[in-house]
Amino acid sequence: MNAGAEFTQYTVRATPEAQEAGAVALAVASLPESFGPAADGNHADVQVIAGRPGWTAQAVEAIAAGARGLVVVNPSPENVDSLAEAAARHNTVVVLDQRWASNPAINGAEDAVRSQAGRAAVLDTVATAPVGTDSGGLLADHLAAVVRIAGPLANLRLLNRGLHGYITTAVLANGAPVALQGVVSNARPAALDFRLLTDDGGVSVTLPEPVAAWPATVTVTGPQGELLLPTIYESAHRATWRRLKEHLDAGTIPSDLHRFAALTESITALT
Amino acid sequence: MSSQPKAPQQALPTPIGVGILGAGPVTQAIHLPSLARLGEILTVRHIMDVDPAVAESVAARVGAAHSTSIDALLGDPAVEIVAICSPHQFHAEQVIAACRAGKKAVLCEKPFAMNAEEAAQISAVSQETGVPIIVGAMHTFDPGWLAAQENWDDLPETAHTIRSSIVLPPNARFEDFATEVITRPASGTPDYTDPEVIKGALRGGVMGLAIHDLPLIRRFTPDFKDIEVLEARHVRPFGYVISLRTPTRTIELRAAMNNTWKPEWSFEAFSDDAALRIDFTPSYVQAGSAVAAFTRGSQTTVHGPFDHNGYEGEWRELAALAAGTKQPPSAQTLIDDLTFALDIADATVANVESRHAVAEGAHA
Repeated sequence: MNAGAEFTQYTVRATPEAQEAGAVALAVASLPESFGPAADGNHADVQVIAGRPGWTAQAVEAIAAGARGLVVVNPSPENVDSLAEAAARHNTVVVLDQRWASNPAINGAEDAVRSQAGRAAVLDTVATAPVGTDSGGLLADHLAAVVRIAGPLANLRLLNRGLHGYITTAVLANGAPVALQGVVSNARPAALDFRLLTDDGGVSVTLPEPVAAWPATVTVTGPQGELLLPTIYESAHRATWRRLKEHLDAGTIPSDLHRFAALTESITALT
Repeated sequence: MSSQPKAPQQALPTPIGVGILGAGPVTQAIHLPSLARLGEILTVRHIMDVDPAVAESVAARVGAAHSTSIDALLGDPAVEIVAICSPHQFHAEQVIAACRAGKKAVLCEKPFAMNAEEAAQISAVSQETGVPIIVGAMHTFDPGWLAAQENWDDLPETAHTIRSSIVLPPNARFEDFATEVITRPASGTPDYTDPEVIKGALRGGVMGLAIHDLPLIRRFTPDFKDIEVLEARHVRPFGYVISLRTPTRTIELRAAMNNTWKPEWSFEAFSDDAALRIDFTPSYVQAGSAVAAFTRGSQTTVHGPFDHNGYEGEWRELAALAAGTKQPPSAQTLIDDLTFALDIADATVANVESRHAVAEGAHA
């Protein structure tokens, strides 16, 4: 840092549940110029809450209490209209920390996929999570990432759901079939696998869990060969905090809630 | 190929004679290259094809006799093992004829019959004549699959999720790596707006492509007789997305044949605490065996690759059967594999028909 340069450090307070689910202390410690823990009893610039059912009401309360920024860890599908309205009214930055959709590789994956989506032949994607994971929550996380990468899905329908996972069917804009499968098993590390095939190649994406800075992989295959996009050794948690900082500094409103409203609508229609 | 006589320490057994019915690309690009690697135990004696020029040309490559009639091949005493590589609809009749001709073993390309009745007839003839039959489900002979079998503990009983995923370039890409093919079947441009075309493509996808791995899937599906198709969809230009379930299993079948250069052929099974993934090498090329990987949490155990693929494994098995050093698979296994495939193919077509009927109703 250059001497004399101006910077803003935002103070942070997290609920215990959010602290654990979002590895908040680690993320904040990795951005020490931008964030720091709020001292006991002091007002915090940024509030962090867990996204369990009822989180939107808690978020509205935090905004009313003066939070400038809000991080929601693993938000469960819920109507966000009131929250979006409160956030706009108070100019509060609300970012969602989603296990896969917040991965920093998503942007590159989105560009790669959308440039090929018109030629898509099939999209096959599998989300794996440990035994005990609620398959509804897994599907919400899965769908959030897939829609983020591939865009809206049409004819979304749940074919099968149980203790061991789910099968969901949909189509892309060009009519190509989409299959989303959830597998609940301790056999492999939780991850999301996304494969779009075109007539002569495709895009393959693997997104890891945010518990470590394992890099996602985005591979583009075409007639000329295969290209691995640069790997990013940053977890979804940390990427979320970086985004928050950018919006706070710039005074802009992220599109997280807008996207989440569409996701919630899709999930609600499914179940 | 030079054949300078050597002076062996001990006399080697005479290679077992092979006759092949049908000399299309599979024979040219898969079986002959596999047999070329097994010259000490097997030798091609007779090639039959309905096209005399093809029969002659392919036979000349291996110094074998040639003909255009099944009777000529089956009547050739040099032929001890018969491989049936003709179009599907001839398989049952030709398997039965080969058994009746008193051959030592029969290899029939999949599917070995078009319905359960034919399969039962074949089984009865095989029992009556004592001629062992194996079906060319090459992955079941792949050393990678066999290594998995030796190490999978109770996974076939405890698995709850099974996936088969196949992404293949056009066959010609790999045929050309394997040999110099003469006469390829002509391909047309299907009308994908015609529901009958879609139904035909999906049935063909199950009986011609998925069938390679359905015996593997069945091995992990004890309640395979209660299979149900949840949804079947066509993938252009050729492929499928088929979701299935039994009372205890979720099964996903994926396939896409397109113009990619990058093949992928995998089988996966998951239980609560273990997963098996097998990556097979593409057909046609002699690229060694599949690799099987067991994952249990953070521990992964890998088996393979080994130096030969399932096609060569099939021929090794046939040689052992013909020599009487190995027992054939049970007829019930072959019948169950076939009826499992037929059930899925029928239910797939029925699923498409019912969706189409609903769509028609909606437009009425």
